[in-house]
Amino acid sequence: MIHKKVGANLFAQNTLNMRINSHLQILSLFMLMLLAGCSGSVTEPVSYFAVETPRPFGYVIGDEIAQRIVIETRPGITLQTASLPARGQINRWLNLTQINVEQQGEQTVINLRYQIFYAPLEVKMLSLPGFTLQFAQGDNVLSKDVPDWSFTVAPLRELAVRKNEQHEYMRPDVRPPLLSDSAALMGLWSSCSVSVLLGTYLAYLYGYFPQSRRRVFKQALKQLAKLSEGDMAQALTIAHKAFNKLNRQPLFQHQLTDFYRQHSEYQRINKSLEWFFDYSYHYFFSGKQAVTPQHLEKIRELLEQCRKIERGAL
Amino acid sequence: MTKMITDAQLPDWRDKALKFEQQINQTVLGLQPAVRNILIAVFTRGHVLLEGNVGVGKTTLLRAIAQGLGGDYQRIEGTIDLMPADLIYYTYLNNDGRPCVDPGPLLKQGDRLATFFFNEINRARPQVHSLLLRAMAERSINAFNRDYQLPHIQVFADRNRVEKEETFELPAAAKDRFMMEINIDTPKEPGILDELMFNPRFHDTDQLVSGIAADTIPYYQLNELADTLQRSVQTSPKLRAYALALWQATQDPNAYGVKLADVDMTTLLSTGASPRGMSYLIRASKTRAWLQGRDHVLPEDIQALFPVCMTHRLFLNPIYAYRKEQLLPELIEAILRQVAAP
Repeated sequence: MIHKKVGANLFAQNTLNMRINSHLQILSLFMLMLLAGCSGSVTEPVSYFAVETPRPFGYVIGDEIAQRIVIETRPGITLQTASLPARGQINRWLNLTQINVEQQGEQTVINLRYQIFYAPLEVKMLSLPGFTLQFAQGDNVLSKDVPDWSFTVAPLRELAVRKNEQHEYMRPDVRPPLLSDSAALMGLWSSCSVSVLLGTYLAYLYGYFPQSRRRVFKQALKQLAKLSEGDMAQALTIAHKAFNKLNRQPLFQHQLTDFYRQHSEYQRINKSLEWFFDYSYHYFFSGKQAVTPQHLEKIRELLEQCRKIERGAL
Repeated sequence: MTKMITDAQLPDWRDKALKFEQQINQTVLGLQPAVRNILIAVFTRGHVLLEGNVGVGKTTLLRAIAQGLGGDYQRIEGTIDLMPADLIYYTYLNNDGRPCVDPGPLLKQGDRLATFFFNEINRARPQVHSLLLRAMAERSINAFNRDYQLPHIQVFADRNRVEKEETFELPAAAKDRFMMEINIDTPKEPGILDELMFNPRFHDTDQLVSGIAADTIPYYQLNELADTLQRSVQTSPKLRAYALALWQATQDPNAYGVKLADVDMTTLLSTGASPRGMSYLIRASKTRAWLQGRDHVLPEDIQALFPVCMTHRLFLNPIYAYRKEQLLPELIEAILRQVAAP
């Protein structure tokens, strides 16, 4: 009985030892594989190589096909550009129109653009021919194949060119509708209008309009400059006319208060204006006013002050 | 005989005139602009047409002036049955039963008559108007087969503008002989109205008027004073040009750019101002300049008197006549606004 029990225990012990051994073997195999993987990635000169292509169907004559090749290499390995296909005609129906190599860190990206000139009569499979890329690593040369890439080309039209009573079969496309330019035109018009308005307002402020009351004193000063010395009657008349024009009606001395109410900016030169009217009244109506060059100068100064007010400069 | 008035005396006369004006303004309240215009008419020897409602103080004002001038004052009411003879004489039976003929209001005071007030002149007949016009223009009337001189007469006439029934509108010729048409309105200031209502001083007109010093300005010297004054106060060529432009603007407002709303300016006026009217205006302006203490006329003198001297002389085309109360003042104002000097 006891012998049986001991025998059973030994059997169990052996089974356990066998399981542990098998687990250890699996683990060591896995580690070996990992190590092998690591050592492989270090030793492979081209770590990544992909050819990215568009859809392989639905092309017609004249279409362009872009192909992108992405390569990752170990440092020190350089692409030999001579191994790239040359730009230009590749065969009877295929042109390589553009070739462009970009270096982005360890990645090299080659962009190729083909144009097809094949006019098939029905849907036909064609291939972009493959080529071999070469890399230099010191004196060694590595190569990587870019495989052929197949795609289908379709005809543009039916084989037989038909005639229709109403329309010609081979005719240009309908003209595309024009993009709406009303918003742009509106913008142009409104900005032009605003510019014209602002320009007009500025011209008004500067008194460029011939009939503008903003240039009343500008004109008066011009007329005054043409006068001969000592022509007091004319000088006074010029000044009176300017004030009348500004006031839109004849301005008399006893109306100055009303005048200031409408043109408050002239209140600042109240004293000069009072002097002017007193002087003018004495000159014209009493006939007892002595005339000196200083008086003429004073009238000119008054008009210059008025001109400054009219320009908004005083 | 009175002494000659010389230029050198004019300032003294001016002081007297201003004092006189002050006294009148204390007697009738709130009528300063009208008083100034009447004073100008008195010193220019022009007749005056008064316009205004009843009870605003026209009679008091005239009596006050008559009191100050010292001459005699006569007043007559215009009625529809008033005949020219009623102004010249009246007949009655005396105590002995004998018919008598005595001089009427115009002749009663002879050459002492200084102020003649014709109330409601438009109620009187045209015959009366024509007699009065002669008295105004020539300062003389013919009665009892001889001419009576009225050298100092100044006529003030009141025109009732409220009632139109049984009235005779003054003809253009009659209106033209009045130097001014002065509007006398009720004062608006509450203080003055209160004074007129409650101050006993204004209740008794006789007493009120007697408060004015008599003979402040002797009426018999007025003609001579007016002559001296007209000679003394000067008008410059520029002022003459201004007055001429104003006159032409009353003849043809359109040419001077005068515009009124809803009015065809080419047909608005049937007659512009008369030469007599313009002469009155300039004479009155000289008097105003003198009262302002100047020896020369300014445009503001003419402007101040233009409305009172011109409004009754401009006659509108019949199609605008019904709006004359509104259009005439507007026209006068527009003309003054359009004509410049110098």
